Order: sequence, then structure tokens, then C-alpha cells
Amino acid sequence: MSPHLRLASPPRELPADGPLEFGELFARYNRYVATLAARLLGSGDAEVEDVVQDVFWLASLRLPRIVDMVQARGWLATVTTRLVRRRLRRRRFRNLFHSTASRDEVPAPGATAEERAVLSRLYEVLDGLPTNERLAWSLRYLEGEPLDAVAAACGCSLATAKRRVSAARSVIDEVFRDD
Amino acid sequence: MTERSWSALGRKIKPDWRPEHERAVRATIGRRRARRRALLSVTIGVSSALALIAMFAVAHFALRVPLPAPASTNSDLKTAASTPAPKAVETAAPKAVETLTVTQLSPDTVLHPLPEWKGRGYELLAGGARFLVPHDAEHPFIVVASDVVIEDLGTMFTVQYLGADRLRIAVEQGRVGVRTRDTDTNTEVTAGATMDVPTSAPNKKPAAAAAVSSSWRPLAEHGHYLEAHQALRKAGPGAVREDAADLLMAADTARLSGHPAEAVPYLDRIVRSHGDDPRAPLAAFTLGRVLLDELGRPGDAIGAFARARARGGPLAEDALAREVEAASRAGSPARSHELALLYRQLYPNGRRAKAVSKFGGLD
Repeated sequence: MSPHLRLASPPRELPADGPLEFGELFARYNRYVATLAARLLGSGDAEVEDVVQDVFWLASLRLPRIVDMVQARGWLATVTTRLVRRRLRRRRFRNLFHSTASRDEVPAPGATAEERAVLSRLYEVLDGLPTNERLAWSLRYLEGEPLDAVAAACGCSLATAKRRVSAARSVIDEVFRDD
Repeated sequence: MTERSWSALGRKIKPDWRPEHERAVRATIGRRRARRRALLSVTIGVSSALALIAMFAVAHFALRVPLPAPASTNSDLKTAASTPAPKAVETAAPKAVETLTVTQLSPDTVLHPLPEWKGRGYELLAGGARFLVPHDAEHPFIVVASDVVIEDLGTMFTVQYLGADRLRIAVEQGRVGVRTRDTDTNTEVTAGATMDVPTSAPNKKPAAAAAVSSSWRPLAEHGHYLEAHQALRKAGPGAVREDAADLLMAADTARLSGHPAEAVPYLDRIVRSHGDDPRAPLAAFTLGRVLLDELGRPGDAIGAFARARARGGPLAEDALAREVEAASRAGSPARSHELALLYRQLYPNGRRAKAVSKFGGLD
């Protein structure tokens, strides 16, 4: 038995449409939200768990407003991005009072040592970027979202999303020019 | 680096997201919901009390205004017409019920929602309950008691068992339809009336207990762990069958409703009595985690993790790592060091190497 199955019984198949139930929403998207949070934060474990908890707590309160599973994914991405933004800003504020900012290892279990080094350097660079630019770039390139989805998740216009992605990309391209 | 290579690298970023995390998050959200519900109840209670006090105050002052005399003569009629009637008299008509309220009338009341009725159906297994039901023609509200079905027609009513084979339905406002399943006769009970109905179940209590013992499972299967736990507690330990699936579900119900200590005997039974079941290592691992993380019993957790890894499989590495941690927390540094060396030997590039080194004193 795989350790990734539920203890007592496997998750049920989800209906294609109809009213959403919290259990179904959670079963389908908890891993997606955790992965998105890890990519945006560049950290794992407790911080990701906190974000997932906050996202689904809000989802449980707003459930009647979420029409279907397709819409739910976009809604969850937007909420996750907003909560991560708040966390990143808090993290930056905290770092003002520490002489050396410590950073967790990026959770990338399948990555080689070289790739881990690149990721570590990447998140150091991202830590130095404005939060909005960092999130837009991460959604576009690490998460592979199209620009309109980036704009929706960041809560800004398409033009603003393009500008933020472009600004972050110019810095990252500069740092990794030789790689 | 190109756009494509960033995407490929991005896909490799994955958190160590395990079922334990999922369950922990769900349990926490469940607790937050329960807290919120409690807070809402208190707020509603306080608001209702204040509203009642305000109503009494208004009624008190309104009743001090002299009422018009009975309109028995022409002159009296004239007086009544020229004097506006006091407001307390105008509000005498019953107000429509706006929110659904269900009140259990005694501690022994056993009342379960009928899931397929989406909050507009209950089964009364014992005791009595009072229902305030806003009428909705498209979504009727029903109460099932033994073989009697009470369907609301917009009302306030009470359903109570009078004994093993008798049920009383009292209507305070509006009207209800009462139907017995056997005869399928439908009787309407109106405001102020009471109806006693014989129930065909000759021995109600065992029937109710059986219904409760079967009712905790669907609640647990649907993830309603708090309600499932209440039902299971009322039904008693006999409600859990002696098979691994049922025991696991009971353990889930206890843990995820915030009662980890009650999960221990169920998990222990699986480990001891169903050791050949493929789910036994998972049960042992969960038992270890409950003992270590939630009950603070690292000494007991060591044995559970040892059993979880004894049969190999995908949990063996994690179980050994957690065993190192349990031994360290139980104050056995020699044992934890020995186990940490074993971990390093078996899993040189193990995912838990960092934690194992820390707890096993290998740093």
C-alpha cells in the first residue's frame, strides 16, 4: 500500500460539475496548492503547510461562491499568491533586523546537485527582487502559467503583469547569463 | 538560461507533502471551523438575548398605554377609531420562522442529519427534539423517527419518544404532515395540536443503537470526523467491527476529530491482531506518530516505529528515521545513535539524513 493513500479509504472520484464539497476540493487541490506555495516561497515544510491551511480555511468560508472545479483552481492560485505575497513581505521585514538572513533549502527532491545549486542561487536573487516582480516571474517561469493567468493570480492588469515579469527577467538573465 | 530550462527546473520543486500533512491541515481546519461555529453560537445567543430584552422592554412600555375598550356600542366604536391601537396588540400574530433551529430536548437525545437531505432532514433515534423550520416548498424538511415520517409545512414543532413504542408530535406554529411508513397514511397536525403515534418497533433501544453504530461510518467516510466521533462515542466500542478497515476508519475518526488518545487502542488492535494485513505497517507507523507527536510518549513510539519498519516497504525508511527521533526524545542516546548508524548504512542518501544526524548525534 502506498503511503500516499488515505488511511481508511481511498478518495472518491470527483463529480464533473454540481455543487462543490470542501472534502472534494481539498482532496483534488491540496497538493497543487502545496506545490505552488513551495515554488513561490522557495521553501518547504512548515511554511508551506501554513499556507495550505490558510488557503483552504478561506476556501471553506467562500465555498458557495466557487462555481466549479475549473474555477476553483484559478481561485486557489490567486489566494495562494496573495498569502505568499504577505508572507514574503513579512519575511523581508524580519530580515531587516537580522545581520545574516538565513534561507531554507529549496525542496527539489529530484534535482541534481548542480540544479540544487542553481535553485539556491535563483532564490537568493528572487529574495532581492521586489515581491510583486518575484511572484509574477515565478508564476510565469517556474509554474509555467500563461501571462493572463499570472495577471489574474497577481490581481493586476495584463500590462502590469508583463512589465513585472520583464523587470524580474532582466535581472535574472543578467545573473545567469553565463549558465 | 532559457525559459524552457527554468520551467523544467521549476517542475522539480516539490514540497515533501505527505498524507500526514494533508490530515494535519484538515484536522486544523476542522478545529478552526468548530471554534468559529462556537463563536457564532455565542454571538447569536447573546444577540438573541439582547433582542428579547429589548422586545420585553418595548412590550412593557407598550402595555402601559391603555387598551381601547371592547367595541360593543357605536360610541365605543368611535372611540376605538379615534384612538390608535397599541403596537403590542398588532404583533400578536405568529411571526414566520426565518432560520432553521434544532434543539435537543434531553441529554439522551440521538439525532442525526440525513446527508441526502442537505441539512433539511434528520433522523431521531432516541429522546426528543424541537424544530423551528422556515418553509421551503421546493425543499421539504423531514424528521424520521422509527417508522414515522414528519414533513414540515413551515412550522415550529417537537418530536419526542414517550416510550419504546410511542412517539409524540406537538405543533406550536404552522402545520406538519405525519406519515407512517407501514400504512402510508398521511395526517396533518396543525398549530396547538398534539398527536401520539404508535411506532411499530417493539424494542426501540437496540434498534437505535444499531442505527447509531452503522451511522458513524458514512459520517467518517464523508470526512465529517467531529460528528462521526460523537456518533461513535455514543454507540460505544462495540460499534467498531474487528477488521482492519473498520479499525483504521475508527482511528481516523478519533485522530482527525482531535482525540488522538482514543485512536491508540484501534491502531494497536490492527498491529497486534491483524499483523498480516497489508495496512498493518501503516497502522504501526501512524500509531508511532500519534504516540510521539501528539501524546508525547516517545518510549512507546519506539516499539511502534520498529514494527512499522520490520516488514520493509515504502514506510521503512521514514519509520527508522522516526525511531531515531523517538529514542532520542525518550532519553536513550545510545539507542538513537545505534539506529542512526543503521539508517546511514541502509539509506546513505536518505531523505531524512539531516534529521537522523541531529537526533542520532552524528553531527
